[in-house]
Amino acid sequence: MSVEQGEAFGPWLGRQLRRATISQAELAKRLGITRAAVSAWIVGRAEPRDEHKRMIAEILGIDPEAVTNRTSDVSTNLPLTWHHRPAHADGGREYGNAAAFAFNADLSVLAREATQNSLDERHDLTRPVQVHYTLHEISGPHLDKFLDTLRWNELREHYDAAAGKNQKVSRSLKAALEELDRTRTTLLLRVDDYNAAGLTGPEYSDGRFAAVVRRQLDSHKESSRRAGGSYGLGKVTLWATSKFGLVMMNSTLSEPHEGRTERRVIGRLDLPWRTVDDEAYAGPAWFGEPDTSLEHPKVSRSWWADEETVRDLHLERPHSDAGTSFLIVGAYDASGDAASLQDMHEKLVRSLADGFWAAMVGGQRAGALLDARVTTMRNGQVLVPEQRVDPYSRHPALSRALKAYLDNDTVPERTSGDQVAQTDVPLFVTPLLNAPRVEGKGTEHRAVLLLTATDDEERKNRVVCMRGNRMTIMERRPRELPLGTDSFQAVLLAGHATENDGDDVQLAEDFLRASEPPEHNKWDRTEELTSLYRRGALSRIDDFKEEIDRAVRELVGRRETVTRGGPAVLQELLRLNSGGVSTGTRRAQGVPTVRSINARLDDTGAWHVDVDLKLPEAEDSWLLTPVAKFDVRSGGRPAVEWSLLTAADNCQVENGNLVIPAGTRSASFAGVTDPASHPVRGKLSRLLVDVQKARGGAR
Amino acid sequence: MKAAFPYPTLFGDVSFEVTAVTVDGSPLPYTHVSKAEQTVALHQTGRDKWDVAVLHIRAALPEQELADGPWTDAVCLAVLTEKATNARTSGRLTRVQDGSWQGRIELVRNNHLNRASLSLTVAATLDNLPGRVIGTAERDWFVDLKVTTPVRQREIEIVEIDFREGDLEWLRPFKEAPWIVETTGEIPTVYLNTSAVEGLVEVLHGKGGSAEEKLLREMTSSQIAQDAWTAMFHTAISDLDLDEDGTPQMPGGWREPVLQMMLPDVLPGRQLTDALFDINERRTKGFGWSELQTSVQYAAGRRSQMTKKLAVATRSVNSVARGGSQ
Repeated sequence: MSVEQGEAFGPWLGRQLRRATISQAELAKRLGITRAAVSAWIVGRAEPRDEHKRMIAEILGIDPEAVTNRTSDVSTNLPLTWHHRPAHADGGREYGNAAAFAFNADLSVLAREATQNSLDERHDLTRPVQVHYTLHEISGPHLDKFLDTLRWNELREHYDAAAGKNQKVSRSLKAALEELDRTRTTLLLRVDDYNAAGLTGPEYSDGRFAAVVRRQLDSHKESSRRAGGSYGLGKVTLWATSKFGLVMMNSTLSEPHEGRTERRVIGRLDLPWRTVDDEAYAGPAWFGEPDTSLEHPKVSRSWWADEETVRDLHLERPHSDAGTSFLIVGAYDASGDAASLQDMHEKLVRSLADGFWAAMVGGQRAGALLDARVTTMRNGQVLVPEQRVDPYSRHPALSRALKAYLDNDTVPERTSGDQVAQTDVPLFVTPLLNAPRVEGKGTEHRAVLLLTATDDEERKNRVVCMRGNRMTIMERRPRELPLGTDSFQAVLLAGHATENDGDDVQLAEDFLRASEPPEHNKWDRTEELTSLYRRGALSRIDDFKEEIDRAVRELVGRRETVTRGGPAVLQELLRLNSGGVSTGTRRAQGVPTVRSINARLDDTGAWHVDVDLKLPEAEDSWLLTPVAKFDVRSGGRPAVEWSLLTAADNCQVENGNLVIPAGTRSASFAGVTDPASHPVRGKLSRLLVDVQKARGGAR
Repeated sequence: MKAAFPYPTLFGDVSFEVTAVTVDGSPLPYTHVSKAEQTVALHQTGRDKWDVAVLHIRAALPEQELADGPWTDAVCLAVLTEKATNARTSGRLTRVQDGSWQGRIELVRNNHLNRASLSLTVAATLDNLPGRVIGTAERDWFVDLKVTTPVRQREIEIVEIDFREGDLEWLRPFKEAPWIVETTGEIPTVYLNTSAVEGLVEVLHGKGGSAEEKLLREMTSSQIAQDAWTAMFHTAISDLDLDEDGTPQMPGGWREPVLQMMLPDVLPGRQLTDALFDINERRTKGFGWSELQTSVQYAAGRRSQMTKKLAVATRSVNSVARGGSQ
């Protein structure tokens, strides 16, 4: 027997019967046994004798060997089709998927949501989940073959019908169809994850598969309770990124369904309400095998595809690690700031680094949670080679801070700028409404604040707050920082992000998640917070944010508390501002200054200078003396004589002085120094040139 | 004033920072180092007596320009100087793997008094002439031995002390005075006498209080400031270093900001060096010196906000008088 290669008999037989539209009762009748016996086979309580297996093979019209091996499905002639959901009986119409409007169809949003979902579904918690984004532009024969496999021709009338409506979705659909007809080119964006759970579970009832493929707003996150999202909105970004609302999926399951794991394939299309051939259709459609069961007649269900089909659908998974590949057909960046393939590639890399730098950092205490890559191709040829997203290159200071924490390499107080300071920030978790009352403010959770110096002037002086799978919730600018604080970047880790154990960790995680709006972008008052927790929850969130600010102030330095002696009212009057800016208006008159000097030495050692002057507005003409001196490190500077002074623009030379007419704002002159007056050789000197008010006989 | 070099120098930016400090071998908390202020504070480092502080320095040079240019054997030096003691120490930086230059420099306590300047110089060989300065960092760092907070801007010291029985014996002769201003030291200091006028210092420290208290506080502080600015100005213009042609140089330390703030009011519309020259002439030769006093008073009055404070005071006295008559 070679059963170890095949799947269990029961699920296999159940599926074959369904595919052949033979009921259990019918099989029992044809085999001449009771229906209970067939049922026992299917649920796995018993296996038929070889004689019955041969008869089953006969009934199914296949080789008896296939019944023994059970490595493939029989009757592969079940045609793949699109099943469009019929219109609602109540006449309701949806002109688009409401959840999709909650997001901008922006590549960065897609990268954020899809990658977060992959992170939340990490399977083996000792390894990072790998995500791989592949942009693939196809045209010509590549496109034709792909569309054929998709049965595009069957879809086209639905598209044309949907595009005919005068609704928001219809108009953009129309433009997309026209563009496809004109350019015969489309962009596929594939989002793969490996070491993730995959689309497990039954076809229609609760499970990951149904949550993603069949339902709206079903979060179904069960894997670790660390999950980032909780609204089930994220997946809709996949469809929102497709101009055609079309996404194909191929999943390798982490736990078998129908006894199998590899190549569970289905497609889903989101269109607005439409009528085709006088039939009204509600919205979504699915691509797969027609269901032969009585409960779901004709509905397209996922099928176990062969390798050739997944290759033709651009859904081939290079290795057998569990996870899912989503293929977004007609991908685009609605924000419009990534037009070319290279732009989109870079935007994906950037978005992944921005959103998930923390998950990609690993250390001794905990490894990296995520490994992300981006590749760009055109018609099967690599255009931009696989690029691994490197958190350190885009967020050096933040990554360094987190790495130091994970390596237990932080300090309580910094003695050099590169060090990472660490302190605790308390968060008190209010008890749940139905939980017993506790003394005090609630359970204390100690969040971790990390702070280090940064050179990044743009994103300085912020605290990146995260929880769960190191998911960034918000960037906070601490208030009341002491003036003149050195640029820093800080990370706040709360809940599971601390990588700590203890009851408080999960409590804090749940508490903070409850305080987040659907965008998961801040900790603030939410309905969930007030309806689940006892009074005081809102204040605890506010307290927490204040504690964060306080901890930052403590780590950047206690400078604010240092005051110098003396009454404040007097200090105010005795302030020396080194800028030398007077509060008076009379300074605004300004003075003539040297704007630039162009100087060179000639062979005799004399300096030749061309000097530009800037002059303030004045009613009188200027009489200025150009002065040349040699610069010295300390002491008096030796003056050198001019052997020649010539006017260039807007001035005249008289007796070694410059005469500049009133109202002139700029002037220039040229001068040559007299080497005989040089105290040292010109080559060894540094020359200073200034203009001062002529002193008449003062010299 | 702009300087010209007789050879090509670096155009790109030369910058540097103090990355860490150790005092007698133990690391100094980084709160004593301010990158923004470019200042290191060495006072109250945890021990009163210390001998050597080591500053670790990292510099960034325009590497590409340096490599492409006519210079060879570039050397990067950190230089620690203090005018008051004429101390000068240098430390050589070496290029490390990441392309920056790193090194350390020692500050020996005995060589310094108040505040040392830390500068960075790049020298190289050019036309077979070694040691030519081809670049310096735009802004120096300060290493301050007298402060605990690394701030660049220095404030005028205000000391509250009992002149009659306090620790400072030299104040005894002034025991009748409510305050005196001293400008001989490195930092000008206002001494407030806690025993001449009972309660005056407390009123100065107060924040609210009656209208009369406010009036007293504002007027007294303005008066003290007037004295301080006048004294500081006179000290700042004495003992100026002169160039060979008799032009005074701008003095360093606190004197520079004082002159920059007051000269435009003393001699309006004049270039700073011109104004300094004029004042120095009058002071040393005597003519026009007394005329200058009026302007100095005017400038000090502006700094102590005399007019504004008087206007407020007058208004409040008027309203008190009206309130009393009703």
